[in-house]
Amino acid sequence: MDSFGMVTLVVFGYLATTLAVGLAAGRRASKTVQGYVAGDRDFGLLVMYFITGASVFSAFAFLGGPGWAYSRGAAAFYILSYGVLGMAPWYAVGPKAAALGRRFGFVTQAQLLTGRFPSRGLSALMAALTLAAFVPYVTIQIGGAGIVIETVTGGRVPFWAGGALAYGVVMTYVLVRGVSGVGWTNAFQGVFMLAIAWTLGLYLPAKLYGGVGPMFEEILSARPELLSIPGLDGDGAPWTWGAYSSAILVSAIGFTMLPHLFMKAFTARDDRTIRRTVVLFPTFQLFLVPVFLIGFAGVLFPESPPQSDMVLPFLVLRTELPALVVGLFCAGALSASMSTGDALLHAGASVVVEDGVQPFRRLSDRTRRTLIRVLVVGVGALAYVLALQEIDSLVSLLLASYGIVCQFMPAVLSAMYWRRATTAGVASGLVAGSAVAVFFFLQPDLKPLGIHEGILGLAVHLPVLLAVSLAGRAQDAEHAARYVDV
Amino acid sequence: MSYRSWVRVAWTTHLLFAAAATWPGQTLVNEPAPFVLGLPRPMAWIAAWLVASLIVLWRMDSARNRRDRAAAERASREGSLDG
Repeated sequence: MDSFGMVTLVVFGYLATTLAVGLAAGRRASKTVQGYVAGDRDFGLLVMYFITGASVFSAFAFLGGPGWAYSRGAAAFYILSYGVLGMAPWYAVGPKAAALGRRFGFVTQAQLLTGRFPSRGLSALMAALTLAAFVPYVTIQIGGAGIVIETVTGGRVPFWAGGALAYGVVMTYVLVRGVSGVGWTNAFQGVFMLAIAWTLGLYLPAKLYGGVGPMFEEILSARPELLSIPGLDGDGAPWTWGAYSSAILVSAIGFTMLPHLFMKAFTARDDRTIRRTVVLFPTFQLFLVPVFLIGFAGVLFPESPPQSDMVLPFLVLRTELPALVVGLFCAGALSASMSTGDALLHAGASVVVEDGVQPFRRLSDRTRRTLIRVLVVGVGALAYVLALQEIDSLVSLLLASYGIVCQFMPAVLSAMYWRRATTAGVASGLVAGSAVAVFFFLQPDLKPLGIHEGILGLAVHLPVLLAVSLAGRAQDAEHAARYVDV
Repeated sequence: MSYRSWVRVAWTTHLLFAAAATWPGQTLVNEPAPFVLGLPRPMAWIAAWLVASLIVLWRMDSARNRRDRAAAERASREGSLDG
């Protein structure tokens, strides 16, 4: 068998296994919205750990991470820093969100928010912002899957077919099993990604330079600017400390507010499971170390890939690895893409139905489940069509969506911890913060010190939230207490 | 150490982590050489904070579980006395 045959075989074997795992999972989950969206609140530690880790480590971490280390050097270390900073507060917030979910039957973030601050407009706003943030995100994942398959098969499976194949599998298990399919395939894919990242991260520097230390010695003498923070920006000029530091802050703040992660608090079996997931999260974060080593291994490689994000598949193909390893790598990169894409598709469709439609038109449980499935297909198809277009502009769209997602944080924390917050305060803060973030996204030259627009949005959001809440009449004390005293 | 003390330690650790990983904290550890375990120092510095975070979160969680177990035992003892 030639090497392409072997690679293709491994990849197909992997896709078939993923499909089998996805379909086998959750056969016993109830046929209700709660079962489909929140897995009947019965996920144990193993699944929670990987669902969190694998949904976070997307095609961006597996392809973009090495790409950043390769082209922008130490700038990539911001990705290493923010995850744990965002996750640690979840030790306290997660179980509280879960308790509120159990008490009131919430399955989405916006339900929690509008439970405390009743407003259909707020609910629709959250649904719209979530969808706006998710479509480009899914698009990037599909694009990543397409790139990987096209590259490792030497173009024999074109981009469009690779993306369609990988996401055909994802759609199938999300449609049939809902969040249970997402959870169990993520567990499988998470193990896969960890193994591949550590193996390649140690193997490539050893093979090309004789070890990790010698590799960095060579980079230090040839390209020292790559090894000091804040590294370089996208054009190869030095990045600013303001941009580097605010990238960490905005990502840490936005991170747990990403609806597909937040909603997983509603899937955990008990609070202890959520706490353990948080405790173990740094182990997933350390997995970025070998991912960056792969990118750095490309720095002094005599040839360069067509795009920096391709550095990983590029190196894998140029270093004469056995076909089996190439196939496994390809499967690992697909895992990264698919394990994030499935969570996004599922969460995005659930949010639109539960928060965008349900508050305006009461639907039966059965209709909602059907509608969520229709939307999974709709959002997936839209993202797929976009993936066939220009990808570059979508990456910047994604960054803008992070600026909006981190505006959810003051709203959600107010709902859970601040008695004096009012509906008007939360809504006006959300609108003002998002507007500022969008403004500076469109006018990047006006950003002071290169600070991320999400942080600038928060600088306006927080005073507005405080002022409007305190100026208005306090909520009924009993109502607020049901959310704050849990 | 009690769970409450560990919660304070965890807050302190992560706030220090945030300060150490952004400007100006990170500027103190920004010379690539000498390497630590083969990694440039800024990278090793962040990795070390990740390990510190893991240890502190772990100890905090264990302290919480000890506290909850002790409370459960007390409750069951009192329950049996009542019975």
